[in-house]
Amino acid sequence: MTRLACLYVPLFPLAARLRSEPELKDDAIAIVEGNGGGAHVIAATRRARTKGIQAGQTLTQARAILPKLIARGRDAECERTAQEALLEVAETFSPRIEDAGDGVVFADVTGLERHFASELDLAKAAIRAADDVALPIRCGIAASKLAARVAAELPKSPTVVDPGKEAEFLAPLPLTRLSPQLDAAATLRRWGLGSIGELANLPESEVASRLGDLGRELHYAARGIDPRPLIPRALPPEFREGMELEWPLVALEPFLFIANAALDRLAKRLEIQGFACKRLELTMNLEPDGFHSRAIDLPAPTRDVKTMLTLLRLDLEKTPPGAPVAGFSIVAHPDRPRRAQLSLFGPSALSPEKLATTIARLVSMLGDDRVGMPVAVDGHLPDRYAIDTFDPPAAPDMKRKPRKSRGVVAARVFRPALPVEVITRENEGTTRITAIHGEGDIDGSVRTCSGPWKIEESWWSATPASNEYWDVELDRGGTYRVYQASTSEWFVDARYE
Amino acid sequence: MGRIAGAQAKQKCPSAHPLPTSRVHDFPTLTYAFLPPRLLVVSALLFDFMMPAPAPAPEPAPEPQESLPCNALRQLRASLDGTVAAKLMNATELIHALERKRRDTVLPTTLDALDTLLGGGLPRGKMVELTGRRASGRFSVVLSALAAATSMGEAAVLIDVGDHFDPQLAEENGVDLPRVLWVRPQTMKQAVMAAEMLAATGFQLIVLDAGLAGFTKAGRRAPDASWVRLARAAEAHGTALLISTPWPVTGTASEAVLVAERTRTHWIGQGRSPRLLAGITTDVRLEKHRHMKAGTRATLRFAMADSVDATTGNTPRR
Repeated sequence: MTRLACLYVPLFPLAARLRSEPELKDDAIAIVEGNGGGAHVIAATRRARTKGIQAGQTLTQARAILPKLIARGRDAECERTAQEALLEVAETFSPRIEDAGDGVVFADVTGLERHFASELDLAKAAIRAADDVALPIRCGIAASKLAARVAAELPKSPTVVDPGKEAEFLAPLPLTRLSPQLDAAATLRRWGLGSIGELANLPESEVASRLGDLGRELHYAARGIDPRPLIPRALPPEFREGMELEWPLVALEPFLFIANAALDRLAKRLEIQGFACKRLELTMNLEPDGFHSRAIDLPAPTRDVKTMLTLLRLDLEKTPPGAPVAGFSIVAHPDRPRRAQLSLFGPSALSPEKLATTIARLVSMLGDDRVGMPVAVDGHLPDRYAIDTFDPPAAPDMKRKPRKSRGVVAARVFRPALPVEVITRENEGTTRITAIHGEGDIDGSVRTCSGPWKIEESWWSATPASNEYWDVELDRGGTYRVYQASTSEWFVDARYE
Repeated sequence: MGRIAGAQAKQKCPSAHPLPTSRVHDFPTLTYAFLPPRLLVVSALLFDFMMPAPAPAPEPAPEPQESLPCNALRQLRASLDGTVAAKLMNATELIHALERKRRDTVLPTTLDALDTLLGGGLPRGKMVELTGRRASGRFSVVLSALAAATSMGEAAVLIDVGDHFDPQLAEENGVDLPRVLWVRPQTMKQAVMAAEMLAATGFQLIVLDAGLAGFTKAGRRAPDASWVRLARAAEAHGTALLISTPWPVTGTASEAVLVAERTRTHWIGQGRSPRLLAGITTDVRLEKHRHMKAGTRATLRFAMADSVDATTGNTPRR
């Protein structure tokens, strides 16, 4: 028999807002909808409710009752991300889930009895998992979506309805739990019906003849029969967090403070799914209108919030949005973290996930062109290099003996090459360098020199290079590689060391 | 059954030399934990015989009776000859023994004179400092160390303060470039921070090189405490650290200090004939070592890539 779990977030607009602003949880908060005189309360915290604030009151009425009431507008961005987070929690329990909107998610939990001692334990685990993403939920498990939803809405949570006992479970509950339409509800009240069981006891044909198809559906629901199947949703290609800000931000630090919390929530959601982030997209709503978008490619998939925040900071410092920020959304494109089999007897292999995080942190500290794998570039001029993504080959299974060093003299390259003044002397048709005058140690008379070696490259292009290279040893010590560029200027580009 | 027995063995058998948790997790412990106890013992025994002869262990710590993984292993040990029983171990003991053995080894630079000076090579889990001004041959030593480590299949890091590394020359020197992570910080402070991060990631060789230009441009030295912290990070993760700087910076944090001095440049050709740079020779002195006598010297010779190619029959570069 199919078993369905319903995850339900009571007072969803409020819960979604408090998820983004958890510091307000203990205050008297009301979520309002509408503008000006039409603004009315749709949800309030327990502290506000105990003071008399109720859904449906206008903001003016609510403020008259509680002047210190904090009002927040309904935030579609917060609600959307909270709904996504709820869906992801449900996905950790079952691959077949349905998004019913407004803080309600159904999950097919058939067959999970092998993983949990009981359905009650499963429901408790779901509540704990939702609590990890800052969503207070209630959970109900039953054989139909209707019964599961009604079970989830009960104050006592979690509630499990035994298979085949849906009608018995619903019977004592008031009719309002079935959420009948207003006119039908009024009719049923006139008939003197108070509970679902009383409606279920009436003959189906009599109810249908008086209320039509609506009556038939209500009668089915009262008997616990819900023919609606679960409609599974497809996996989202990305993860999104964001919120509308109470007032526009003009400084970077306050924005990063809020973005940090959003990234933290994203990282938790990615972790639940076993993903890491490979690309971040930030969209900022600007005042008075317009928006600013940017994308940051991470050097390696990671869930490290500190790294992502630093990259975000660097990017924002480099190109500020140019106007106050009134809202934002951050989209994380997921990727599977790298995995590798480690060896017992070979050299120590690196944990790919740890390596990815370290590289991302290094890039955030030093810049993206300052960390990577060195690449030898084909060509003739010395000091050609490129830098590529570091992705080392797998370590050998068994230890290898080191190859004997070739003992080659290394050249310490100067980037950029240092301009110097060179004194030369012509002698019997050959040119000798007699002295070099440059910065620091590169100054003095030359003891020995050899050269020149002419190297031409890219003569076919718009920027040809034609240099004459010399090796020179100074009297005061140090052997340098010197070259004369085609512009007749002299440079030192390396020291043999 | 096998899974439970293995897991319990892992929990109940702390090693006599406990390792940092992060390192222990790097090993595929589950591979062994999944084996049934009898197979586990036999496989561990086989693996132990496959390993090279173990270095003399310092002192086998007294193992409490209750820490034995299971009765079967205890009984098997009791029934065997002492020498064979000493080689018998369960998965956790095997992993810890392998880690201890790995830490006892050194990373050779394959420059024989330098390796002799250091007692075999760069010690794992320790920091070695190499200092020398101008053309002291420091950078050639750095490349040799990288070439040796990468030829063994180890991933290595070059932290290059001043941006002096030439991938062409490194490749000619035998460095396996895909196994090298090249980090180019702009200050010494960034370099030390990067080294600490990378040591925690599990790299087995980290070389921090600062040229004179890069060093003075960077201006400020890293605080002394940061070198101590770096040495501790290297020790915790078994990383061999080579610090190459124009003058001493690590203070008391390093295991050994080498000073490169008296460099000589060799030229081919005399009199009126044209000269050709042949190579350099440098003297390296052991300034300080925690376990060896200081003051010993070694002479290192490095040749130009052309000369080396000539001996191997390859085409000269120029």
